[in-house]
Amino acid sequence: MNDQSADFTAGAGAGSIPPGPDPFGRTDAPMLRLTLWPHRSLSRRGFAWVIGLVASGLALPLVALAGSSAAWGLLPFLIATLLALYAAIQRSYADARLTEELRLWPDLITVERRDPKGRIRRWCANPFWVQIRLLDNAPIEKYLTLTGNGREIELGAFLSPDERETLYRDLRTALGALRLR
Amino acid sequence: MADAAHAHAQAHGDHAKPGFFTRWFMSTNHKDIGILYLISAAVLGFVSVGMTMYMRLELMHPGVQYMLIDGLPNGHLWNVLITAHGILMMFFVVIPALFGGFGNYFMPLMIGAPDMAFPRMNNLSYWLFIAGASLAVISLFVPGGSGLTGSGVGWVLYAPLSTTESGMSMDFAIFAVHLSGASSILGAINIITTFLNMRAPGMTLFKAPLFVWSIVVTAFLILLALPVLAGAITMLLTDRNFGTTFFAPEGGGDPVLYQHLLWFFGHPEVYIVILPGFGIVSHVISTFSRKPIFGYMPMVFAMIAIGALGFVVWAHHMYTVGLSTTQQAYFMLATMTIAVPTGIKIFSWIATMWGGSVEFKTPMLWALGFLLIFTLGGVTGIVLSQAAIDRVYHDTYYVVAHFHYVMSLGAVFCIFSGIYYWLPKMTGRMYPETAGKIHFWMMFVGANVTFFPQHFLGRQGMPRRYIDYPEQFALWNYVSSLGAFLSGLSFLFFFGIVYYTLRHGARVTDPMYWGPQPDPTLEWTLSNPPPEHTFETLPTPDMWDHSKPH
Repeated sequence: MNDQSADFTAGAGAGSIPPGPDPFGRTDAPMLRLTLWPHRSLSRRGFAWVIGLVASGLALPLVALAGSSAAWGLLPFLIATLLALYAAIQRSYADARLTEELRLWPDLITVERRDPKGRIRRWCANPFWVQIRLLDNAPIEKYLTLTGNGREIELGAFLSPDERETLYRDLRTALGALRLR
Repeated sequence: MADAAHAHAQAHGDHAKPGFFTRWFMSTNHKDIGILYLISAAVLGFVSVGMTMYMRLELMHPGVQYMLIDGLPNGHLWNVLITAHGILMMFFVVIPALFGGFGNYFMPLMIGAPDMAFPRMNNLSYWLFIAGASLAVISLFVPGGSGLTGSGVGWVLYAPLSTTESGMSMDFAIFAVHLSGASSILGAINIITTFLNMRAPGMTLFKAPLFVWSIVVTAFLILLALPVLAGAITMLLTDRNFGTTFFAPEGGGDPVLYQHLLWFFGHPEVYIVILPGFGIVSHVISTFSRKPIFGYMPMVFAMIAIGALGFVVWAHHMYTVGLSTTQQAYFMLATMTIAVPTGIKIFSWIATMWGGSVEFKTPMLWALGFLLIFTLGGVTGIVLSQAAIDRVYHDTYYVVAHFHYVMSLGAVFCIFSGIYYWLPKMTGRMYPETAGKIHFWMMFVGANVTFFPQHFLGRQGMPRRYIDYPEQFALWNYVSSLGAFLSGLSFLFFFGIVYYTLRHGARVTDPMYWGPQPDPTLEWTLSNPPPEHTFETLPTPDMWDHSKPH
């Protein structure tokens, strides 16, 4: 959906929720709260090591040339290289600044997705009517979708298939428990 | 389906096929860019090999027969050709093929990343490389030294020759190296970020395949060495054009300082050239011996050690510039130390084959050829590392033979090994096996006949970089030229093989077309050729981790 929040209660399908207060501003504790984010394999400590090692490696010729004018000739290139590496890894972290937060109450389920640029997309529905599906015949392996309130959304597309399967089982259990109450 | 909060995953699934121009000229796909690198390197390699054919033709007999201007020997043309051959091969053929080509194509596949971390920067790297290559070729045709076109100062661009060479050709050459350096640094940053941050969950550093390690160590070498070269040639540029005197003694500069800077880059450069080859050969030998690679951890640390040692041995290229005895002793010792990690690699490859079910398919032949030839080049390297012996051999054909054994033969054999190994994966078609073997034997015999006699010429005292030589050197120069023509012919034959494979090669559908892999990396789970988008989702450990039962 292109709109960001105005339309969150729209939709005529099963699971639509009656007009009321903003479902995303709900403050009472949900039964289930899940936050999903993409995998990044470099730890912050590893990042510090990489920058430290590269900086000392780049400093090697400077030590040899200390005091000569040629050291100044090299310096800009060495600094630019280090900064470029720093910026690149930071950018790679930033690209992963993507979260999906799922909250579940007995009468409401919300999913809020925050992409790296800070854009927020939202979906909410009545959990009683929500269908959860794990598709094998889809753009990606074990594609997980939720349908309700007239829309179908994907969940955790950036996770590994196994993680999505676990997520699927957990969510199905939670939704099932809700319906038995 | 999902109209959804986030439709991006489907967007990948069913967007329209890009047109030819969009796919190849605006590509951000690591596999397409890898193929572009390989094709460009092949074209430039053809140009560069063509130059050597002309040079070997000239050297076939004493006296100057072909490179004449107004009936007189055209020494400048000779100098231009040796310079261009070196610059093209070093910066625009071997590194782009191994690091840009295979690195781009297979490194993300092997770590299970969907693409490089920065796909558009990847595209930028490629086009900077093309721009640099174009400048290098243009530099041949614009006014240079001796009132002729092109610059003839040797690929090392030593000052003061390079700072006093007239005409703009030299400046074009410097800019060519600049652009190639910028391209390599951006590529290295991309590869480092991809490797560090985008490995599949559970793939720890020491579970990454050896080829991935070889590419990553290479990327770090590029990152640390290329800025020094960029600085050094920028100083050349300002010395030439803006009156600075970094390398001019009359202004307080030092021409030997340029040599230090150049070789501080230049020695790691040698390992930049060969390390990805080590990675390819490790996979090939393991595959065709039906055994996992022997000694994975020592192999990784040997590559890291070779990379690190590469930065502290540079002055063994400059024993004759007036280093103190202490300095020479240090550089000798440090240089010989490199034989230890290199030996670990060689022996581990042999140990991998030991007791294995060795199958002599074309990629394996190239890998074995590499092993033999690289060891030979390594041994002459140990000889040359002795400062005292180097007094005699410096700038003779012995050195030419040595570095062609490790690079021309070593690295190029690795490229061919990789091409035959992965060509069916990249194209979905199998090359004709017999033709591949004929190509190998032509090249193996040809290259050895070319370069082995050059050891003799060097020992007889024939200096490098000359258009002519006295009668005494005639025999081995004649033999060497014959070998060169055979190798050149084999290169033409290779283009024929690739053409035949693309047009008529048998379709390969089995993802593991070399039979069961002893330690399959992730590219063997993909179809031939792999789909446009791979690993949209993260691969799971059981797809690549075969160390434990599951």
